[in-house]
Amino acid sequence: MTNLQEGSPTEAERQATRFVPGQPDMWVFVLFESLLFTGYFSVYLVGRIQNRELYLQSQAALDLRFGVFNTIALLLSSWAIARCVQASREGAYRDALRDAFLTIGFGVAFLVSKVLEWGKEIRLGNTFTSNEFFQHFFFLTSIHLLHLLIGFIVMGVAVYQLWSPARRSQLLVETCATYWHTVDFLWVLIFALLYVVR
Amino acid sequence: MSLLRRVLWNVRDHPKRELWFAWWVMVIFYQLYGVLFFLVTRVQPPPSPAWSTPMVVQWFDARHYGILAGFGIVFLISGLCAPMNALLAYSMRRMSVSQIFGYSYLVMYSLSAIPGMLVMAIAMTAGAMRPDRDPEMIRWLYDFAFLSFSGTMGVFMIGSLVWLVAILLDKNDVFPKWFGYLGLCNALTEFVVAPAWIFQRGVFAWNGAIAWWINMVVFVTYTACFIVLLRRMIVREDFGTGRLPDLPPKPERSEADSVGAMQ
Repeated sequence: MTNLQEGSPTEAERQATRFVPGQPDMWVFVLFESLLFTGYFSVYLVGRIQNRELYLQSQAALDLRFGVFNTIALLLSSWAIARCVQASREGAYRDALRDAFLTIGFGVAFLVSKVLEWGKEIRLGNTFTSNEFFQHFFFLTSIHLLHLLIGFIVMGVAVYQLWSPARRSQLLVETCATYWHTVDFLWVLIFALLYVVR
Repeated sequence: MSLLRRVLWNVRDHPKRELWFAWWVMVIFYQLYGVLFFLVTRVQPPPSPAWSTPMVVQWFDARHYGILAGFGIVFLISGLCAPMNALLAYSMRRMSVSQIFGYSYLVMYSLSAIPGMLVMAIAMTAGAMRPDRDPEMIRWLYDFAFLSFSGTMGVFMIGSLVWLVAILLDKNDVFPKWFGYLGLCNALTEFVVAPAWIFQRGVFAWNGAIAWWINMVVFVTYTACFIVLLRRMIVREDFGTGRLPDLPPKPERSEADSVGAMQ
């Protein structure tokens, strides 16, 4: 079948990278997730407008240090994955692999910090059923953490690609990076809404 | 060629007649599902789980005939799930991935029709058919019906993930990768229904803005996408085992759909 040869990965990669980094398909996911989270944020904001005092009081119970640490951890992970993509483009696969592991490391730091934060809040009596604010807090941070866990699988794909000279698809590495940046992007919005906006 | 001859040929000889049949069943089923659940029985959008017993009884009274007639039709058409699920499984069998994916999907979606549609319909009908029944019993049926409906979300979540993995691994290009990623969005929104087991009020209750309304928008988008993509798959189908051919240009496409294949 001639189509198989015409649609070889190298050609597809060349064509796709001309427009956006990675598979354009992943950008559909980014767009759709952004819309979905816009929905979740809108619901949060409506709740906040209706019950401003409760939200402000509950927000004050959050430990901002966790929020800041988590934001820095994910921003650093985004920086690391951007370096990974750059190194991979230049053919420096050893450096790219190091940066991919660094990304995973920052992700793990975020995960540990998030679990510690949840533990602290629960010990303080702020649970998923405590009040409306904490419903949103645990929901948004959980659904985001689920994205992060999926991100580890995605990073596994990136490492798998970078590991062997037989694979090394730049298209897939950039697709994985796009996903990871989405996780970071969503967190920045969640951080702003839950911890910062008063 | 006369219309009659064309119809007869499509029914008797069209090489893709079973696929088109299943696809049309899917389109009709989803249309009917929407009309029956939203307009005839009016059990969707779901009412509040926090309602008192008299409100629940009143809710059933207001929908007495709609529920009896609407769910009567639901029972008549429930078998349409079979060709519909078969087409979904067929799409996975046409991929270059293990057939385990198709079989898993088929079993999961066939099972989900029982609590998500039939058990719910039975509980609702039982609640509506005897208005003089003990009000507490009617309320029990109300909870049972909506929990049964919401309880299928885990199956849909895993189903979406199975389809997602199959699409991402597939080398036959049966579905575009973006639809696989959309499956991830859909799976995550199914996950969000779990808090409906805890809350009777608010955005996470079974009628809540997050647990129901946003999910419904995502599910309808996801369903509309796969109906269109399944149609494209059928048009592209060459009954081979390798990569699916690209979609033919429009004039040729209409021939590939029906009588053109006669020549």
